[in-house]
Amino acid sequence: MTRRLAQLILLCYPLAFRRRYGEEMRALLDETPTRAATVLDLSRCALAAHLHPPASLADVVNIGDRLRASTSGVLACWVAFAAAGFGFYKTTEDSPYQSAGNSHLLLGGAHLTIQILAILASVAVLAGALPLSVLALHRARRQRSLRMLVSLPIAAVAVFAGLTGLLILVAHSQPSQHPSTAGGVAFIVWGLAGLACSAVCVLASRRALFAVPVARRWLLVAFACGALVTAAMAAMAIATAIYTIALSVDASALAAEPNGPLQATSVSVSLVLLLVVMILAGTLAATATRRGWRSVTQPDTSEAI
Amino acid sequence: MRYTSERSTDPGLLVLTSLAEGPKHGYAITHDVEQLAGVRLGPGTLYGALARLESNGLIEALPAEDRRRPYRLTGKGSAALSEQLQALEYVARSGLARLRVAKALQ
Repeated sequence: MTRRLAQLILLCYPLAFRRRYGEEMRALLDETPTRAATVLDLSRCALAAHLHPPASLADVVNIGDRLRASTSGVLACWVAFAAAGFGFYKTTEDSPYQSAGNSHLLLGGAHLTIQILAILASVAVLAGALPLSVLALHRARRQRSLRMLVSLPIAAVAVFAGLTGLLILVAHSQPSQHPSTAGGVAFIVWGLAGLACSAVCVLASRRALFAVPVARRWLLVAFACGALVTAAMAAMAIATAIYTIALSVDASALAAEPNGPLQATSVSVSLVLLLVVMILAGTLAATATRRGWRSVTQPDTSEAI
Repeated sequence: MRYTSERSTDPGLLVLTSLAEGPKHGYAITHDVEQLAGVRLGPGTLYGALARLESNGLIEALPAEDRRRPYRLTGKGSAALSEQLQALEYVARSGLARLRVAKALQ
């Protein structure tokens, strides 16, 4: 189990690092016992490799693949950020929070800002992904392996939509309005299924992006959209931090209320945890964007890359 | 109580010390460092150190053998290791001398 997990964490290393050291690291993992400490070590060092990439690896990956890695990296971070954003929405959707937002300018302003930025970022994700998706679908008509890759996200979304529909039906058949343990467990299962579905979509789209020849201009469009999404993530993380602080100061009773699927934490603790996920995802997205920017500023004469 | 200073367990220094004996691949370096310093380098730490050392020109990769790739010290790496170890030796000698003086005064 830990060996499989360690192999999966290798996929979290930057592309250039994996291309240069990936095979050797896999060989080392096959030769040595894998423990929880190994998994932690790989996770910590994968993050460090993103934040401080060794200079010698700059030329390992060509410009096109660096742009692909940058855009797909931002997409993965956006999915993690959006999951935390959904948690924020579920935590603050009820009427007491809306009333608090109406009476306190900072709370209401931060909440509105997050909603507007979330819509803008989602539009940017769609705008960046659309040309690449059309190219991949067009090519998939002739390439069997690619057909498999593009059908994976569709299947994952269909399964998740089915599960969501089933849970909604079950929830409507229950008369109780109070949060129950079964409801909390169902929400956790639904959340995990959503994360699994997102992971399949991100990984399959990344593989497809690397398998399709794309004109440089479309990669640049995707990169520009990715940069917008990164900026929106940073602004939303700041707005969430302001909201969390303002809630604790202006509506401390609401902040102290029990929260979470099993009512195990308080609202303020949930918001801080969500903020940590947002900051982590935003930082990784900023790193991926910075790496993509370096590729953009390098001269390149080729058209299809 | 055993105290291990951060400097003497710096992965880069340990990897350079291991390679001072001759070219080694990842597994051999991990095993050697464990025998030498009692420190088990995780794969992430090891390859993070190898990447930094290679980037700074202190080590170089040799042609791959199957899935393994041996590394060896460069001239620059040899000089850097020698400098680091001399600095550590100076600290160790000074520390031991001070301890002897303190013991004699007690």
